[in-house]
Amino acid sequence: MSKVKCDHCHLEFSDEVMIHDGEYRFCCNGCQGIFHLLKDEGLESFYSKMGDATLSPPSEQFEASSNFDTPAFHERFVTTTKENLSQVSLVIEGIHCAACVWLNEKALHKMDGVIEAYINYTNNKARIIWNPAVVKLSSIIDMIRAIGYNAFPYDASLQEVRANKERKEYYLRMAVATFATMNMMWIAVAQYAGYFTGISQEIKTILNIAEWVLATPVLFYSGWVFYRGAYYGLKNRSITMDLLVVTGSSLAYLYSIYITLMEKGEAYFDSVAMIITFVLFGKFLEVLSRKNAADTLDVIGKHIPREVSIVEGESIRSVNVSDVKEGDVILIRSGERSAIDGEVISGEGSFDESNLTGESEPIFKRIGDKIISGTTSIDALIHYRATKDFAHSTLSTLVNLLENAMAQKPSIEQLANRLSQYFSSTILFLAIATFWGWYFWPHSFDRSLMVGISVIIIACPCALALATPVATLVGLALGAKRGILFKSAAQIETMAKATMVVLDKTGTITMGRPEVVYATLHQPFDMGVLYALVSLSKHPISRGVMEYIGRTENKTDSISIEEVRELPARGMIGRHNGVMIAGGNALLMEELGLNVDTRSDKSLFYYAVDNVLTATFELRDQPKEKALESIQTLHDLGLRVVMLTGDHEAAALRVAQEVGIKEVYAHLTPEGKAAFIASAHDEGYIVVMAGDGINDLLALAASDIAIAMGNGSDIAIEVSDVVLMHDSLTSLAESFAISRKTYALIKQNLFISLVYNSITIPLAMMGYIIPLIAAISMSFSSLLVVGNSMRVRWLYK
Amino acid sequence: MDSWVIAMMLGASLFLGAIALSAFLWGIKNGQFDDEKKMMNQVQFDDERELNDAANQQRKQEAAKKEYRPE
Repeated sequence: MSKVKCDHCHLEFSDEVMIHDGEYRFCCNGCQGIFHLLKDEGLESFYSKMGDATLSPPSEQFEASSNFDTPAFHERFVTTTKENLSQVSLVIEGIHCAACVWLNEKALHKMDGVIEAYINYTNNKARIIWNPAVVKLSSIIDMIRAIGYNAFPYDASLQEVRANKERKEYYLRMAVATFATMNMMWIAVAQYAGYFTGISQEIKTILNIAEWVLATPVLFYSGWVFYRGAYYGLKNRSITMDLLVVTGSSLAYLYSIYITLMEKGEAYFDSVAMIITFVLFGKFLEVLSRKNAADTLDVIGKHIPREVSIVEGESIRSVNVSDVKEGDVILIRSGERSAIDGEVISGEGSFDESNLTGESEPIFKRIGDKIISGTTSIDALIHYRATKDFAHSTLSTLVNLLENAMAQKPSIEQLANRLSQYFSSTILFLAIATFWGWYFWPHSFDRSLMVGISVIIIACPCALALATPVATLVGLALGAKRGILFKSAAQIETMAKATMVVLDKTGTITMGRPEVVYATLHQPFDMGVLYALVSLSKHPISRGVMEYIGRTENKTDSISIEEVRELPARGMIGRHNGVMIAGGNALLMEELGLNVDTRSDKSLFYYAVDNVLTATFELRDQPKEKALESIQTLHDLGLRVVMLTGDHEAAALRVAQEVGIKEVYAHLTPEGKAAFIASAHDEGYIVVMAGDGINDLLALAASDIAIAMGNGSDIAIEVSDVVLMHDSLTSLAESFAISRKTYALIKQNLFISLVYNSITIPLAMMGYIIPLIAAISMSFSSLLVVGNSMRVRWLYK
Repeated sequence: MDSWVIAMMLGASLFLGAIALSAFLWGIKNGQFDDEKKMMNQVQFDDERELNDAANQQRKQEAAKKEYRPE
C-alpha cells in the first residue's frame, strides 16, 4: 500500500482512499474544494510557499456565519475607526506555517471593501479593518472558512492594548537610553584619560558639550517615567525611589551644565545617563513580569456559550443568550454546555456538574429536575424551560462575583518597595546634611553642592532597582523549567510569605476520575468483549473500567457488539454472538433480576453475561501519586494545610486521611469556599489556594495566591497566579521551595546593595568621590547583584 | 584647530548614530518587531507580486479615506 500526499493538506494517506481528480489527489472534499478555490483566485503559489508543512484538513461544522452580523456581536467585538470603517480582532484557527498567514492575508486583501488584514504569526491574532458599506463581516468570515481556516472573535480589550502600548514605550525609551549611554562611555574614556594625564580645557569643554547633548534625551525622554512616578508619589505624600532617582539625576545634570559653562571642574553627565539607564532596565523587567488582569476576564467570557437553541413549536432556532426570556423552551444536546438555569420538561440523561459542585460522578436528570447553567450534558438530549434569564443564571452570577473578587484581590506590599521608601528619605536627608555641613565648615558653595550631589549619585539605587527584578526573573525561569509557571513576579514574594495552603479535593489531590481499585471475577469470561462494551460509553465509570482492562490485559482490538443500548443512570446492555451482556450499576442488575452485593463505600460496576453475574469492579477517585509525601513537605514548611470540597463528608474524610490532611471542610458551595478563605484572611493568614474547576474560581480569586492544575479548566488557569503544568502535588511543594529560595535571594540582593551603599556613602560625604569612581561603583554593585542572582542555579539543582 | 577637528568628528559620528537610532525607533513604532516569527519568515515571500499587492492595498486604504467626509 503506497502512501500518497493530499495535494492540499499534504497529509499522507493510502492511494485507494483518496479522491482522484485528474492528476491531483485529495484526502477529502474539503481539501479538494479549497485547492480549486485557490487556483481560481490565483493563489496557488501558496503550495510552493508552504514547503514541508502540513495542514489540518478543513472542518465542516461551523457556527452560522450570520451570527457575525448580529447587532449583539457588533456591540461586543466591533469597533469603528475614525474613518468610519469597522475593525474587529479575530483569532485565526488552523495556522500552521508562515504560508498560512500569507494566504489568509492575500485572500482577504483580494476582497472588495477589506481595507486592512494583518495577522500576527506568533499568536495567530488578526486585525481586520473593512468598509461596512461594501462588505459584510460574515462574508469575510466565510472567506476565511472557505480557504480552510476558522476565526473566532476576541475582545481586544482596552487593557491589553494599553499593556502592549506601555511595553512598546519602554522599548523606545530603553533604545534611546542605551544608545546615548553607550556613546557617552567612549566619550567618558577620553575624559578619564584626560583626568589622569592632563587635558586642555578647550577639549574638555567639547567633550562635555557632546555628553550634554547625549544626556538630555536620556534624562527627559527615557527618564520621563521617573519624573511621573516621583510626581504621583509626592501627590500621595510618599518619598519613592523615583523621587531619589529624579533628584539625583536632575541635580547632577544641572550641576554639570554649570560646570560645562564655567569651564572648570568635572561634569557628571555620564552618571546621569547611567543611573537612568540601569534603573529603567530594572523597571522594564518589572513591567514585563506583571500580570494582565484584563486577559483573564476575556477568557472567562469565552467559556460562556453565546447562543442557545430555542424550541418554538416544531422549529428550532439559535438565539443569543441575552435574548432568552424566562419560560422559553431550550434544547440541549449531548456535549453542550448550558448557559441558562431551568427545569427539565422532556427527555432525560446525565449531566457533568463537577465543574460547579465538585461532585465527581455524573448527575442523572429527568423531568422536573433543575438544570444549572455551566454544567455540561454528557449524553442527555433534553428540553428544558428557562426559569431565569441569562443575567440571573448561576453562571453569569458567578462571573460577576468573580469580576468583583478579582478587582478586590488583596496585595501584599513588597519588601523592596517598603525598603526603598526608607532608603530614599534617608539618602535625601544625608545629602542635605552633607551640603550644609560642608558649607558651614567653610567651603565654597560650588564644592559643597558637588559633594552633596555626589552623595545622591553614589547612593542612587541602581543595584537596589535591579535587586528584586533580577532575582524574580531567575526564580521565574527556574520554575518554568520545572513546569511551574508563575504568572507574575510579585507573586513569588507573596507565596514565600504564605502561611496557609488550601487544597481542593477533586482534581487537585485526587486524579479527578474514578479508577478501578479492586476487581472480583466470579466467572471466567472474555475481557475483550467487556472492553469493547465499555469503550462505547463516555461515562467516567465505563472509562475507568476500560482503562483498567486496557492496562492489565492489553486489550485494544475491537470486537463488534450488536444492539448496544445505553441506559441512563444504569449502564449499558448489548449482544455479542447472540449472548446478552450487561454492564452497569446495582440498579441495572436488579432490573435484570440479579441479586448483587452492594456493600461498599466505593462506586461499583457489575458485569453480567447471559444474566449471570461474572465480575464486579470497585472504582474510586484515587489520590495522585506522591500525594502523601508532598503534603508532608508542605507541613514541614510550617504551612497550615486545609482541604475544601463540595463533595460529601465521607468521601472527603477518606481522601484526607490517606494523604495526611487533618483539617477538612466538606459540602461547601463555591461561595462557601470563598467565604472560608476570606475568614482565614481576617485571622491574618496569607492564603495559597490550589484548585482546578469552575467551582473553585471564587475561592481562587479570593486567595492571595491562586494555583491551578495544568489540566484544570481553562478559566481556573486564567484566574490563577501560578500554573502547575505537571499537575502533581510534588510540583506544588516545589513551587513553595522555589518561591522561598527566590525570596531569600531578593533579601540577599537588597542586603548587598545596602552594604555597598553604607561603604560608599561615607566616602561621598567626605568628598572623595569623582565621576569615575561613581561610574565604577554603580556598575560594580549592579554586577554583584546580578551575579548573586545567577548563583541560584547552582543552589537549586 | 585640533579641537575643531575633534568637535567635527564627534558631531558627525553622533549624527550618523542618531540616524540609525531613529530608524530603529521608527521600526518599533511601526510594529516591525511585533511579530518575531513573521518577521523572519516574510523574507521568503518577497517578490514583485507582493509589491503590487501592497500597492493595491494602499490604494484601497486611500480610497476609503477619501470617501469619508467628516461632518
